[in-house]
Amino acid sequence: MIPVSLIALAAALLVSGALFGRRAVLLYRLIRMGQPVARFDDLPSRVRAEAVVVVGQSKLLQVLVPGLMHAAIFWGFMVLLPTILIAMIGAVDPHATLPWLGAQGWYALMVDLFAILVLAGVIAAFVIRKVQRPGRFAGSHLGEADLILALIAAIVITLFLWHASQIALGLNDYPAGWAPISGLLAGALHQGWTPVLERTAVWTHVLIILAFLVYLPYSKHLHIFLAAVNVFFGRTRARGRLEPIEFEKEGMAEEDVRFGTATVKDMTWKQVVDTMSCTECGRCQDVCPAYATGKALSPKLLIMSLRDQVLAEGPKVLAARDRGETYKPPPLVPNAVTDDVVWDCVTCGACQRECPVGIEHIDHIVDLRRNLVMVESRFPAEAAPMLRDVDRASNPWGKPQADRTRWADGLGLHVLQPGEEPPDILFWVGCAPAYDERARQGAISTAKLMKSAGVDFAILGPRESCTGDPARRMGDEYTFQRLAKENVGTLNSSRVKRIVTTCPHCFNTLSNEYPDFGGTYEVVHHTTFLAELMREGRIKPLAGDKAITYHDSCYLARHNDVIAEPRELVAAAGRPVEMARSGKRTFCCGAGGARMWMEENRGRPINQERVREAAATGAQTLAVACPFCTVMLDDGVRETGAKIQVVDLATLLSQAVERRKAWEARSTTEQV
Amino acid sequence: MVLVLVEHAGGVATDPSLQSLTLARSLAGREPVQALLIGGKAPAVAATLGSHGVSVAHVANHAGLETFAPDAWASTLDDLVVRLPAGAVVAPGTERGNEVMARLAARTGLPLAVNCIAVTAGPPVTLTRLRWGGSLFEEARLVSPRPLLTVAPHTVAVEAASTPNEVEVKPFTPALDGADLVVRVAEHIGASGGGISLTEAKVVVSGGRGVGSKEGFAIIEELAGLLGAAVGCSRAVTSAGWRPHTDQVGQTGTKIAPDIYIACGISGATQHMAGCKGAKKILAINADGEAPIMLSADYAVIGDLKEIVPAISAEIRKRQ
Amino acid sequence: MVLTGDGKALETRHLGFTISPHEECGVEEAVRLVEANGGESVVLTLGPPEAAEQLRDAMAIGIDRAIHLQTDGSSAEWDPEATANAILDAVRIDESAAGPFDLVLFGNESADSGGFQVGARVAHTLGRPLVTGVKRMTLDGASVRCEQEVEGGRDVYVVPLPSVLTVKEGLNLPRYPSVPGRMRAARKPVTISTPSRPASRLELLRLVVPEGQGKRAEVLGNGPAAAPAVVETLQKLGVL
Repeated sequence: MIPVSLIALAAALLVSGALFGRRAVLLYRLIRMGQPVARFDDLPSRVRAEAVVVVGQSKLLQVLVPGLMHAAIFWGFMVLLPTILIAMIGAVDPHATLPWLGAQGWYALMVDLFAILVLAGVIAAFVIRKVQRPGRFAGSHLGEADLILALIAAIVITLFLWHASQIALGLNDYPAGWAPISGLLAGALHQGWTPVLERTAVWTHVLIILAFLVYLPYSKHLHIFLAAVNVFFGRTRARGRLEPIEFEKEGMAEEDVRFGTATVKDMTWKQVVDTMSCTECGRCQDVCPAYATGKALSPKLLIMSLRDQVLAEGPKVLAARDRGETYKPPPLVPNAVTDDVVWDCVTCGACQRECPVGIEHIDHIVDLRRNLVMVESRFPAEAAPMLRDVDRASNPWGKPQADRTRWADGLGLHVLQPGEEPPDILFWVGCAPAYDERARQGAISTAKLMKSAGVDFAILGPRESCTGDPARRMGDEYTFQRLAKENVGTLNSSRVKRIVTTCPHCFNTLSNEYPDFGGTYEVVHHTTFLAELMREGRIKPLAGDKAITYHDSCYLARHNDVIAEPRELVAAAGRPVEMARSGKRTFCCGAGGARMWMEENRGRPINQERVREAAATGAQTLAVACPFCTVMLDDGVRETGAKIQVVDLATLLSQAVERRKAWEARSTTEQV
Repeated sequence: MVLVLVEHAGGVATDPSLQSLTLARSLAGREPVQALLIGGKAPAVAATLGSHGVSVAHVANHAGLETFAPDAWASTLDDLVVRLPAGAVVAPGTERGNEVMARLAARTGLPLAVNCIAVTAGPPVTLTRLRWGGSLFEEARLVSPRPLLTVAPHTVAVEAASTPNEVEVKPFTPALDGADLVVRVAEHIGASGGGISLTEAKVVVSGGRGVGSKEGFAIIEELAGLLGAAVGCSRAVTSAGWRPHTDQVGQTGTKIAPDIYIACGISGATQHMAGCKGAKKILAINADGEAPIMLSADYAVIGDLKEIVPAISAEIRKRQ
Repeated sequence: MVLTGDGKALETRHLGFTISPHEECGVEEAVRLVEANGGESVVLTLGPPEAAEQLRDAMAIGIDRAIHLQTDGSSAEWDPEATANAILDAVRIDESAAGPFDLVLFGNESADSGGFQVGARVAHTLGRPLVTGVKRMTLDGASVRCEQEVEGGRDVYVVPLPSVLTVKEGLNLPRYPSVPGRMRAARKPVTISTPSRPASRLELLRLVVPEGQGKRAEVLGNGPAAAPAVVETLQKLGVL
């Protein structure tokens, strides 16, 4: 005879399973509807990412207290997972349990302790949300979060009640002494009510879990399944690399070329998973320089809007497809995402660095830009001259290519001619030092230092074209690819192997993005190279006593992990003082994402914000390693009147070398 | 004999016309120069041309010439050229001058050299003319039974004739037909708003990409106000949408010839210089001491215009 | 300005080419007219093989097809008369095949040689009215209303179609070509012919870079500290 309880459980499982399953299938189909993207390479790194980020909660712990709070709940639930099965078995038959595990005392102990940990986490979460009320929750669905936390608490409380009543009734298969908290609770139970309590507790527990299961794919709690998936398929290397568009593919009709994202139909499956993984935690919002200075962009609200669109329009696309028709969803810009939001982004990557579930916000922004620029020609008018100049003059300043060597007048540098033997190092100058008076400071110092260290190097001169980074970040992938292929052609035919550049954007594009176009080179940033020369003893500096604070460039530190070497140079030149937002936490100067050529129409200027932070350290010198940071922060100093001077690291090193020479000269004369 | 089309406004011959007369005399050599004037106060103007070497000034009158009709002007010119006959025709290289001469060249099937700065009599005539708005000179040979030329404005210095003469003023009525009057000014729309006209201003303060933004032009406008100057800009500025195209100085914008042209944050690209080369003096304010404009400017201040321009305004106020 | 060895042309090795601004506005206007009124737009150029890129740029904005009168790219030049005649021949051939053009648009003057006369010659030979320096045009049934900027405002001309207009930058703001537009442009038809160059009556002897380019400005000072020197200079020049 089949017990009623089994039928009841089966029924409950069937109903909840069906409801969950139907929704899960829709979500799965929405993901499969996404455009293709290659994220199946480098499996070992992906597995490692799972271990570190998901199991190890590494990104969550970047903000310690909320991180610990979440880890408590997460690890707690990892341990408690088998109790779901035990509860279901127990719901059918109070005497039954999971074979072996159900009888283990150590497991009962772990359950007790981790269940308390989860409760502590939930309480901490409520304290953070209700008492502390951090700004990162602005715009998030707080009611939903409260409900989820309440459900988690309820699950744990009913678990305790059940265990306690089981122990009170002697139904436990494990030694009661191993479950101290449940045991304590058992002692407090009123004898008469215990059997009823036991049945009630276990069934409530099971039903809450099943209800939660149904609720899950309709809420942000979906992240418990998808976060792990999203982290697995994230970029494992070359974080600064954007996915190229294939403009001409064999057998592909022109209508099928995907020019970025116009509607939800154009999103890749990874981007769809991104939107479904978001927990609305707001850590991205907290570190976004645009948001911090009063712009329209919040990375969190952007992803949430995209998610809402996927869930609203995606099913219509699928339904039409099922009927054999096509449904064209409305354009994302400006209906769900305003133009301002798309253009406010500086592509600094701070959002991605913080996101605990591996959302890659920059991909979304750039894909939205690609459609706006390449198809709709809808972008800030002030950037049009830059795009035209990059396309026609091969540099964003629209100045003659022939003038590319003017910055080096008098330095005696060698311009590599076609067909010549390649030097050890190709010094890739970049457009900013070539055409901007302030930006060339670092290049001049680097060239002089390399010369005096006896490095065998040359520059390309007029044969160097813009790497295309500003065009690519604006979304003009077409122009970017044309330039990339041109430069790769020049570089490959010159047979150079090692490239040193002062510009982090050139550095990022040359090393991470040009391999997609047949150009693979060893690319080194000038700070890394100068540090190398220093270690080899070919550059001999003497540190001064001035306080120097170093501003990490986003494209160096966050996108490419170049953090330690510039600091070697700072230490060699003076007395280092760190800003709070340094290293991977660095705060953008405001030039990235092609914003160097756009105006800030709202809020406070990003560069001034950063200058204020630098000046607050009390340092007299603000060291930089990027020609764009140089210009932006120098502007910021002039605009704010801050008493701090912006100097490139190479120039500081140069000064340190002169300082040593002077000291040696004095010492020698003293000896005489 | 060289025939010169003389434009006039407000009762006097325009400077470019007087410059054309000077160049025409170098082409005519010892031969006399005759002039054609059309409309308005032509007779009074005609009488003043003796000091510029004109022996006969023909004044054309016709109802059809009351409002500007370029084909009618070309027809009138053609009429006279054939009747006299004229050995060569010279006109000022203004918008209208070039337009009328181009139509004359088309209807007579003769070659035309536009924007000349120097000419040597032939035959064949050799001349130097402007390319790239003046950044390049072209030396050419004009093989034609009747050379047609226009003179680049503000490139030839006006010289009075060594021996002035009495001008014989000859009015005449050209034969115009309907076809000549198809293209005529139907109405005139006056310039909207006040502000000093860019082309008429004696001083122009101009801003380029270095100004940085639409709002950045406030300091430019301030300085212009203090100097009674017009505000101009470069093409980069109009492309970025900071100022209207009517403010643009350059090859494809407005060509100006003020007494002083103050260029702030303008690098000095060829196309821009084409618009302001006529300025008597150029002051460049730029952060880059090696910018191309330094080769065309008379004076320069090196540094950040955002600091320098307000400082100049403040200094002017201080001295007032 | 760097000249080639024989002094007859600009050294273009490291330069990018572009459509002249006046003509760019003409192209944009043509696209807008066809978008609003239906019909077909054609772009034509007389130039070396490399000029094909500018034809593709024009078609990327929306021009339907192109005619390329290919010159051999040697430094021997086409003077305005020869240019106009080559264009006339091409226009006549096209009109006999595809019907007359309602409008033929030229740039007011070319950015490089600035001859000002090609449009006038073509208009005269075709027997169609010509309005120059157009900064604004509106179609009105069988005629077109054109505005030309003059001292103190604008002159308005109304001429019947078919007509020829030369336009000036400022007529419109040319759109940025979309990438799908560029890709489609790569497949749009281009009719190529190689006209033979007649003898020039305005024959180029040589090009000269003017001397003025060696002049150096007198530096009045650096930074805001130069303000007094500037004001003194302005006073000396009679401005203040």
